[in-house]
Amino acid sequence: MSNYKWRDSPDTISRLINANDIQTFANQQVMLKPNEVCVLIVDGKIGDILTETHLKSMAGGFSRWLGDKVGLTASDRRLLFAMSGPMDYWVPFEGQLSNGESAKGFANLRLKMNTEDVPKLLNYFANNAPVLDRNGLINIIRNEVIARVVTPCLASCSSAADLRGAAFLEQFEMTAEIEMRNLLANLGFTLLKSFPITDPTDMEMVQKHRATVEAQTTGTQVNTDAQIAHYAQTEAITLARIQMENNVKRAHAKGQVTVELEHDLKGLRAEEARWDAELNRDKGKMNLRVDEADAKAKRAMDMFSQVQERKADRVQNQNEFQNQRMAAQNELQSKMMEMAADHGALTPEVMAEFLRQQTAQKAVDNSKQVAPTNCSCGILMQPGWKACPGCGSPIA
Amino acid sequence: MIGTPIDALPYIRGVQLILSGYNGYAKGSRIETDKMVRAELIRAVTRVRSHMQNIFQSQFREGDMSCARAAKQCIEECDYLCEDINKAIAGMEHAFLSGQRSPSNKDLKNLIKHDHNVVEMVTKAVNLANQAEDLIAKADDDSKQHILQTTQLIASCKGFFAARADILSGLRKKK
Repeated sequence: MSNYKWRDSPDTISRLINANDIQTFANQQVMLKPNEVCVLIVDGKIGDILTETHLKSMAGGFSRWLGDKVGLTASDRRLLFAMSGPMDYWVPFEGQLSNGESAKGFANLRLKMNTEDVPKLLNYFANNAPVLDRNGLINIIRNEVIARVVTPCLASCSSAADLRGAAFLEQFEMTAEIEMRNLLANLGFTLLKSFPITDPTDMEMVQKHRATVEAQTTGTQVNTDAQIAHYAQTEAITLARIQMENNVKRAHAKGQVTVELEHDLKGLRAEEARWDAELNRDKGKMNLRVDEADAKAKRAMDMFSQVQERKADRVQNQNEFQNQRMAAQNELQSKMMEMAADHGALTPEVMAEFLRQQTAQKAVDNSKQVAPTNCSCGILMQPGWKACPGCGSPIA
Repeated sequence: MIGTPIDALPYIRGVQLILSGYNGYAKGSRIETDKMVRAELIRAVTRVRSHMQNIFQSQFREGDMSCARAAKQCIEECDYLCEDINKAIAGMEHAFLSGQRSPSNKDLKNLIKHDHNVVEMVTKAVNLANQAEDLIAKADDDSKQHILQTTQLIASCKGFFAARADILSGLRKKK
């Protein structure tokens, strides 16, 4: 047993082989995967469609050779292998929009084959090589795709912008679903999905170039604006720094002036305090002096009062003494007068002498009395005072 | 030896009304039964797709893009379901030597019941698609509603079929 490989390239879609051409000593077997289908065509009839199975003794081998020689096997045995899973096919196209712009691109068709549809590939292999690959299928469907799908869809676009819209994609897909049904159904394919991919058109390139230039211009403008803003910012920063330095200097100078003023103010306040102190001191002194003067005046008044009292006492004593002396003298004189009268010696001369002595005695008594004087302050000074009680001036 | 569960017989009969060769995963023919069910599902979905393609083509040419879009959507759902069925897991033939355990009676019953439900659902979708095309031909306004219902059924069928993988995945590990 040897494994037969019907697919040697990822682009291979289907292959029709003639089992009679496989003349090997060992039997050929093939493992069919879920996306692989094998159609057995025996003596011109579609015998069976196999998938997901191990196909043993599909060709070759001694027993089959012997059967062929004896004539026990079918005279014509063909095997049609195909991929049933979805595959993408890129169909290049070139067309024109309604405004004359040319559009290039690819139409993507996603096709699959149903298991029962695989024998329809015989329609293809009837007139083509026994191997169908991706390019072969694209060559078959290309013209029809362009003629039935691409060209009408492009013609409905008024500008390149319409190519990029969802409506164009939907229209393309629906058109492909309808228009390609006939061809694909004949070949056994089922269209799952289709969409176009268009290259940028000339106008789009121009717009792209314009956008690029505008972007560059805008970028340059942005850079210029940024540079200008940078300069403005630098200028503002510099001005702010200068202003700040100026303010600092001003503040510094103002601070100095303030300090000086505060210093002067402090001096003035100190001077004021000193003046207050001196004033208080002078007031104190004056008060002391006034108090002292008051005390002196009081003392003087007290002394004056004492003097007046003493004087009054002395005057009273003197008066009393004089009175006593006068009374004694009078008594004496009376006694003497009586004695003289008793002795008869009371003559006019005696009387006259008596009167004269009495007068002289009075004159002596009166001479001892001093007349009061006035001080410079206006106070009447009494005899015997040592100083003026008003101004304290001493009396000579 | 595990035979066909008795209580699954009504479901087997139901499937056999549509799929004559269906025997409920009898011993020795389980792979073939699985392929048979999947082939029947693909056949039914392909019928739905054909109906929808006809509707799509006619409505697109008439300019009724609303119905055309709905039909296109249904076609795509059919393609998705076909691909799911084609590439679904099928279990293995030699359970003893593989990593799978042998299916139990309960597993078989679940599979049979599931097959019955999926076939029934996809049959309903075929009927709806047929009805939708018929309504299109009669210029009935309910045609779009039928198309959308068909799409909904196909989508449900897609999800329901995925549950089959869950049942089969329970066989993967030996207990």
